[in-house]
Amino acid sequence: MDNNEIWVYVETTGSKIEPTSLQLITKAKAIADGRKVVAVVPETSSINAETTVKEYGPDQIKTLVDDHFAHATDEEIADALFQVTDKNRPDSLLFPATILGRSIAPRLQAKLGTGLTGDCLDIYYQDGLLVQVKPTYGDNVMCDIVCPDRRPQMVTVRPNTFRAEKGTGGATEIVQSKFTFHKEANSEVVATDPIINSSSKLDDAKVVIALGRGAYSDKNIKLAQDLAAKLGGMVGVSRPLTDEPEFSHDDQIGIGGASLSADLLINLGISGAVQYTVGIKNAKKIVSVNIDKDAPIFDESDFAYVGDVTDFLNALLKQVR
Amino acid sequence: MKIVVGIKQVPETDSVKIDPKTNNLERSGIQGIINPFDKNAIEAALQLRDQAGGEVVLLSMGPDSYTSSLRDGMAMGADKAVLVSSRAFGGADTLATGYTLAKAVESIGDVDLVLFGRQSVDADTGQVGPIVAEFLSVPQVTFAETVSLESENTIIAKRQLDSAVQDIKLTLPAVITVRKELNNPRYETPVNMKESFEKPITVWTEADLNLDPSQIGQAGSPTSVTNVYAPTKEVKKTTILPEDPVQAVSELLGKLD
Ligand SMILES: Cc1cc2nc3c(=O)[nH]c(=O)nc-3n(C[C@H](O)[C@H](O)[C@H](O)COP(=O)(O)OP(=O)(O)OC[C@H]3O[C@@H](n4cnc5c(N)ncnc54)[C@H](O)[C@@H]3O)c2cc1C
Repeated sequence: MDNNEIWVYVETTGSKIEPTSLQLITKAKAIADGRKVVAVVPETSSINAETTVKEYGPDQIKTLVDDHFAHATDEEIADALFQVTDKNRPDSLLFPATILGRSIAPRLQAKLGTGLTGDCLDIYYQDGLLVQVKPTYGDNVMCDIVCPDRRPQMVTVRPNTFRAEKGTGGATEIVQSKFTFHKEANSEVVATDPIINSSSKLDDAKVVIALGRGAYSDKNIKLAQDLAAKLGGMVGVSRPLTDEPEFSHDDQIGIGGASLSADLLINLGISGAVQYTVGIKNAKKIVSVNIDKDAPIFDESDFAYVGDVTDFLNALLKQVR
Repeated sequence: MKIVVGIKQVPETDSVKIDPKTNNLERSGIQGIINPFDKNAIEAALQLRDQAGGEVVLLSMGPDSYTSSLRDGMAMGADKAVLVSSRAFGGADTLATGYTLAKAVESIGDVDLVLFGRQSVDADTGQVGPIVAEFLSVPQVTFAETVSLESENTIIAKRQLDSAVQDIKLTLPAVITVRKELNNPRYETPVNMKESFEKPITVWTEADLNLDPSQIGQAGSPTSVTNVYAPTKEVKKTTILPEDPVQAVSELLGKLD
């Protein structure tokens, strides 16, 4: 049986609620057009994520409460979600394109035998179908994808593609879903080490100093780090620099890396390839420094400095208190 | 240990563009290469084989031209390869592809471990590994950054989530998708390249696999692409800062506040 609902998977790790899930609730409400927005929250008994989720105004919150969720495997989470989705299939089911979302959604997809489009940059309804907009070939190409016959229509959506807004209006109904946590015999999370600095993830940093191939030198790295420290920000890089010893994939901005939501981004020696610029679309103020006055990065920038990275950084460090 | 590595041949994506007038993909003359992330999966398989013995079988689904990537993978050191190839598989989306690959893994038989790269650089986003795991009803670790053999039939793999690092213990058989950071893929050596031409590539069609025909190719694919186009770009209003860096910075700071 199908219903006319949009479900959003709310990812919880420890006591943290994944921001992308909240962004998706806001987006779901914006496109719902009469459909009911339901947040599905697997959690342990101590998290009470519904208190926070409620503020974003879904029509309903379905909690799946079991203390095993503290260390659940992908198989176990997918199984729990299958139990609540299979019998009463929603029209659409939205996941954050986080590591966990990308791992659980396809398993659930295979159980449900339906379609899933990964890593969407936009979603909207047209003629009753959820249009799933997805980049391919390193974002040189965009595709619209639909899933005409099977339900739910599943997507994962890239973090920070949409903004979360606290909701107003109707009351949120909270229901505890019935399900049985089935322990998977052949896999087990044997250790979970919290990452201490997770609050300063690139995606969520307020200020980002981004270094590209044109800025790669010991001196510029040092200057950029000093500047980031002064501004309470983080250093990120374009892809070529992830091959250098100082940086790793975790520092990458762009299609294969972070999607920024910074208030201020300073691009240094970055040309502005589309694979990079998708990751900076939601940065509020963008300053770019490049010796090439025709560099495409300037099209994406609020402020352009045509000149050398080191000169600019030296001047900036001196003048910033 | 019998290890299957799923690989995909991809166009060198830097050169794939959309013709802005016709909205057609310009792919002509572009060489197919092995999906770069898949090389990390092959490397991981070779290391496990060197440690535990056994064999590494490459598996791919696609047209005949995919044999060139399978040869490249064997030149790295894999023992043999299976290509699942037929018109009947055409138009498969991730679900139909995952189903077909899972059936091929079953036909290879007695497989302990199936490895994939974290995702392909052209189209999908790491969906196929978990789909194959689900169809095989085996556990998975995705985006693994370390993979170590703990006993004859258990592996511990590390995976980094946004706010925690997990150690996950798997009892084989299992599926693992690996991150680029896991290892540095070895280069093909001239000797291995030569030998790769003597190693077998088995080609299977739908007749060789125990399949439900309604789950393969276009028929087995719930999704369809309705539109392909070039991304639109909004051009921002840009303030050009003065040439002198000191002046540039003071103007910038004045306007930012
Ligand atoms: C499938 C795929 C996925 C990709 N994913 C990503 C991704 O996630 N993130 C990403 O960043 N890239 C990604 N890329 C790569 C992307 O296409 C570009 O190659 C990359 O972003 C270029 O990095 P860059 O701008 O640092 O280097 P370049 O393009 O080499 O640009 C360097 C710039 O520095 C300028 N410069 C040089 N010297 C100076 C100086 N002294 N002072 C000031 N400016 C100077 C130059 O004028 C030039 O504009 C991907 C590519 C593919 C095919």
